[in-house]
Amino acid sequence: MATLHLLSHSPFADDRLASCLPLLGADDALLLSGDAVYALHANTRQRQALEKLPETVALFALEEDVRARALEALPARVTLVDYPGFVELSCRYERVNSWL
Amino acid sequence: MNTLCVDGRAIALDQDGFLLDLQDWNEAVAQALAEREGLALEAEHWEILRLLREFHAEFQLSPATRPLIKYTALKLGPEKGNSLHLNRLFKGTPAKLAAKLAGLPKPSNCL
Amino acid sequence: MARSMLVISRQAPWSGPSAREALDIVLAGGAFELPLGLLFLDDGVFQLAAAQQPAQLEQKDLTANLQALPLFGVESLYAARRSLAERGLDEQALPLSVEVLDDIGLSALINRYDHVITI
Repeated sequence: MATLHLLSHSPFADDRLASCLPLLGADDALLLSGDAVYALHANTRQRQALEKLPETVALFALEEDVRARALEALPARVTLVDYPGFVELSCRYERVNSWL
Repeated sequence: MNTLCVDGRAIALDQDGFLLDLQDWNEAVAQALAEREGLALEAEHWEILRLLREFHAEFQLSPATRPLIKYTALKLGPEKGNSLHLNRLFKGTPAKLAAKLAGLPKPSNCL
Repeated sequence: MARSMLVISRQAPWSGPSAREALDIVLAGGAFELPLGLLFLDDGVFQLAAAQQPAQLEQKDLTANLQALPLFGVESLYAARRSLAERGLDEQALPLSVEVLDDIGLSALINRYDHVITI
């Protein structure tokens, strides 16, 4: 059933994140990479929206993109993954929806 | 560049022999294009060529085989809108050859 | 059984290649008789506005191409209700026959297909 949604654009310059969130099913997951990880920045509406997602929706972020941007005090619900982890997730979910 | 000479007029073709400009088409041009393909146009060919011109006017694209069959069935009935009939008329490649003779661009979805 | 694919088209029609690319994927897949769906989301719903005149911009008429989708075997056409409403488009007045879905319907739709791509 479940879909892994893949976002890589900054949620401050672009509406992909805002558009994706209402479409997440209960068992779907979100993987942030590239500038999409800025959605994890403290004191932002984008981060609040992520924290408000139902608990069943899993949230992942690509670790090197998070570290490179010095994002700290991450939400407890986010799981950081490396590229092998990214691949593993792509296989674990039935489909990957890349928001190109 | 390829050109086709019809009634003393030079008409530009692309490398695959399709008209570069849809507006260059008329019945004499279709005859000349068909001759290059070794095909003699009969009434049954003409009705498909006209249908293709209509398809293009309506949808602004050239149909692949399946949509051509469907559209023909819709407009001329199932005894003409089938692959057997269209393949027989257009040497087994109706979408490509009929589009060419009707002066349409090469169907981009005939991969 | 061929694997099904949903293409989500979320860009407006005349400002860049994305809308055309989404349509080309669907037309090509239709020619191969793949089970395909096309969803208009976000600015993608502007592709559904009536009486557009791309010739003014010297562009090919994508909206005319869309009308050919059923002939290409693509009859699963959807639009996002929220996207239409936000952009002031009347879902009763669309020139293409699409199924209009709310957010819950969209999430179920995405989860019905084997593959999904958002362009």
